[in-house]
This record gives sequence, structure tokens and C-alpha cells, in this order.
Amino acid sequence: MAYYAQLVLNGVIAGSIYALFAVGLTLVYGVFRFINFAHGELIAWGAYLVLLFALPPISLPLYLALIPAIAGTVLIGVAQDRFVYRHLLQGHRITLLIASIGVSYFLRNTLRLIWGSDLMTYGIRPVRGIQFAGLSITPTQLLMAGTAVLFLVILFVLLTRTLLGKSLRAVADNMELAAVMGVPMQRVRVTVWVLAALFAGVGGFLLALDTNLEPAMGMTNMIKSFAAVLLGGAGNVWGALLGGLFIGMAENIGVAFFSPGYKDFISFALIFLLLILRPQGIFGVLTGMR
Amino acid sequence: MDYLLHILIVALIYAVFAMSLNLELGYAGLYNFGHVAFFGIGAYTSALLSLAGLPVPLGMACAMVAAGMAGALLCVPALRLTGDFFGIATLVFAEMVRLFFLNERWLTKGPMGLPGIPRPSWVGTGIAAMPMFLVLCLLLTVSVFLLVRWVAVSPFGRALKVVREDEYVAQALGKNVFSLKTRAVVAGSVLAGLAGSLWAHYITYISPGDFTLNETILVLLCVVLGGKGTNWGPVLGAFAVVFFQEALRFLPIPADLGRLIAPLQGMVYGLALILIMLQRPEGVISEYRRSRVC
Repeated sequence: MAYYAQLVLNGVIAGSIYALFAVGLTLVYGVFRFINFAHGELIAWGAYLVLLFALPPISLPLYLALIPAIAGTVLIGVAQDRFVYRHLLQGHRITLLIASIGVSYFLRNTLRLIWGSDLMTYGIRPVRGIQFAGLSITPTQLLMAGTAVLFLVILFVLLTRTLLGKSLRAVADNMELAAVMGVPMQRVRVTVWVLAALFAGVGGFLLALDTNLEPAMGMTNMIKSFAAVLLGGAGNVWGALLGGLFIGMAENIGVAFFSPGYKDFISFALIFLLLILRPQGIFGVLTGMR
Repeated sequence: MDYLLHILIVALIYAVFAMSLNLELGYAGLYNFGHVAFFGIGAYTSALLSLAGLPVPLGMACAMVAAGMAGALLCVPALRLTGDFFGIATLVFAEMVRLFFLNERWLTKGPMGLPGIPRPSWVGTGIAAMPMFLVLCLLLTVSVFLLVRWVAVSPFGRALKVVREDEYVAQALGKNVFSLKTRAVVAGSVLAGLAGSLWAHYITYISPGDFTLNETILVLLCVVLGGKGTNWGPVLGAFAVVFFQEALRFLPIPADLGRLIAPLQGMVYGLALILIMLQRPEGVISEYRRSRVC
């Protein structure tokens, strides 16, 4: 019994990270109406930039390295929009999608060029987990869950209590109408990219803290967060959050029943099941960002 | 000389692969980002059957059937989606297929891959087989080219273009959109299976690592560079991409920097995709200029 409870706990923690990724992906979809294939690369770049600032010659402690690293990730996110997507939003949809695949491939290979294709870690020694009620949780996992909750609360306050958040929701609802009503479009679009990159970068760092870094980590996690986005109904921020938690749990509990080689397969198969059974998303009943 | 033959054979196989993607991406407007799955299914089917002792042509035929069936299977859930969602669903499908190749060791030997895939007996073995294999590829490429050209101007092809431009118009004209799209995906998958099986019999060794997202990106680049929705575009794109890839080997790069070549290549491909989309999304050969002349 404790074994399964432990799997659920691990699932919730992994899921809170997927939720961070999925929220960013769905936010971009909600406002710009396209799935950014390069979202995963923001995750990977967040993790690798921390490594850049934490290793010699810079050698900052991890928590300090996080600050310039996240700033860098946000810069990449904003640059994606500034140099590529902005010029394509009016054109054919496929142009935008292929361009975002190009961006993703370019960024991933830049990672490989700089750091190589091998697995890397932050070199933190594993710490013994804290025990309670037969469950074990490591300080890293606590940090992961805590940070995820903190960021999601900040997002909630931003979206519901500030003017900027309200304009963002207005734009997601109807871009033309919002523009006509004098919503500052420029600020909204930058905000969306900053938020998406921020959440992806922080999530990428937390994920790498618990596991390791590899150039392909972006793509796998992008696909998983897409599963979460689908679960929640595309464009639905709170749905994506629940979807992320669900994917994390499904994956960790699934390990008890399938060979670990198929761990990623579970969320992939889930996408297909969802598409067949409920294309509008499980949590589609919740009313999106509105 | 043999090296030139090798480049030509690879370019022709990629031309078939690119033409098969063009059927979906260019004509039907389906954003298939997991096309490599069918290439891989074709390669593995053909390889496994011919390793089990079946004659190569029969293996290739089975590869096309298997890829086509997989395509039809994918259509059931994936065609409920449009646009980018279809794109991600296909991408996910390709990853699932790759994980299957990687994990089902009893069938595919997993990451070790399948060595020693036979070539058709009449082309010969080793280096001596190259000229005949080129002839075989050339014949198949020309057949596929003529077939795709014929499909493009047939009522079916024109209906596909209507679906691409506006599904509702197609529906209003009494076209069954789902059936049209399914047929396009199945046709594209069959041809991708052919390309994959040619690849397997030419290279004679395949492993799951040959069927990753990288191959999808490469073939996508072939199609959009040459010009999607045109007959010659994918062929031109395939030759350009393969020649570029092989030309890099002649650059005088010190051996210790050799590991940088693959990422640099990837960066160039990514950048090429971005620049084409920004500057000339229709590709080198434009579909529309041609139709205005006609």
C-alpha cells in the first residue's frame, strides 16, 4: 500500500513540474492560437543555462545561477516572438508551425554544439529523504512542489487581480475585440512570452535538479505538457494545471505495471486515448482563463 | 565514383520520401510531423521479412502494405484534429513507433538494430551492387513521380486541394473530407513505406536511432525548400539537402572538431526552415506561379 502511496506522491511532484510547462504552452496557445513546438527548448535552455552559470568559470551557487539563467531563457522566449513568430502570425498557419519546428531544431542543436549530447547533472549529492507515515520525500522534491505552487499562485493573482492579467485574458478571448477596446497588445504579447519562458525555464531547472540534463529533454517534456494541455482543453490554464498533475501521476503509477522503457509511452498513449474519447479535454467543463 | 553513386541513391530515396510527405503536406494540407514513423515501419517490415528468408520484392510490397495500414490506423484518432493538433498527434505517433522499435527486443533486437539486411539478389552484393541499385531506385522514383503527378491532376487530387484551402467548401460541394484525408494519409504512408524499405535494403543495417525526429525535420526541409504542393519541388529539395549534407564531409575540419559537425548541421537545417518560412514560404518552386501560366 505504501508503495502505491509513494508512487502517487512522486506523481504529484512530477506532475507539478509538468503543470508549469503546460501552463506556459496553453497560455501561448490561448493568445496566439498556435502550439509552439519550441516550448520544450525553453525548458532545456533554462536547465542548461543554470549549468552554464553554476560551473567554472562563473561558478555561482545554484540558487544565484538561477537568476541570470532564467533571464536568459526569458530573453530567448521573447526573441522567438520578436524575430520569427511575430512576422508570421498573419500568414498561413503551416508557415508558423514549420517555423516553430525550425526554431526548436535550431535551439536544440545549439545546445548540443555547446554542451555535447551526453547526460549531465548539477553534481548535487543525493540526500536521504525525509520519512513520514511510511513515505519518503527528498528536499529536492519538496523544493519542486513548493516552487511550482508558488509560481502557480503568482500566475493566479496576476491573471485575476491585475489589469495586465485581465487584458491578457481579454486578448485570449478575442484578439480583435481586445485591440479595438484599447488593450495594449504589445505589452500583452511580451507578457505571454515572458510568462511562458519563465515557467518553462524554472520548471526545466527543477526537473534537471531531480534527474539530469540532456539536449532531448525539451522535446519529450513538450510532448508531455501537450498531453496535459489536451487534457485540460487547449487554451485553458487551470485545465492545463490539472492535466499536468494527471500526467505526472499516470506516468509514475504506470511504472508499477509496465516496463520502465515505456514510461514516456504512457503519456503518449494517453494523448491518443483522449483524442478518440474526448477531444475537447477532460476538464473542458471548467471555464478557461476567463 | 562509388561515392557519387551513393549520394545519388540516397538522394533518390529521399526524393521518394519527400514526395510521399508532399502528398499530405502539400496537396492535402495535413501537417504530418511524424512521417518518419511510416518510413521506419516500412524499413523494419521489409528488413524483418527478408531476414526471415522472404524474397526482397515481396518484403518491399509487405512494407508498403504495413505502412499503409499503420497510416489508416493513425487516421482514426488523429483526423479528428486539425492543424497544429494533428501535427503534434503525428509527432507523438512517431515517437511511440520509435519506442516500440526500441523496447520490443524479441522482434527488433532493440537498440542493437538489425544488421545484414539482404539486397535483392539480382543487384549483386557489396560495392558491385551500387549501379544496379541506382537503376532500381531511379525506376521506382520515376514511377512514384509519375504516380504523384497523375494523382495531383486527378479529380481526387483536385478535391484534396479544395480540402486544403477550405474544408467547409469541400463539404458543401459534397466531398467526404474524412475519406479524402484518410486516402491522402494512406497513400503518403504507403510511399513512405516504400522509401523506408529501399533505405533498409540499401544501407543493410537499421536501428531505432535512424527513425527519430531528425529524419522528419530533414524530409520536411526537403519538401518546403523545394516547394510544397508542386511535383518537382520535393525532388529538387531532396537533392539539395542530400548534396549539402554530403558536401560537408569534404570540408577540411580537424578530427577533434568532428563532433561539432552534426549539431552545426542541425542548426543550419533549423535556420533554413525559419528563413524559408520568413522569406519564401512557398519554396523555390512556387505552386501558384505555375498554375497562372497554365
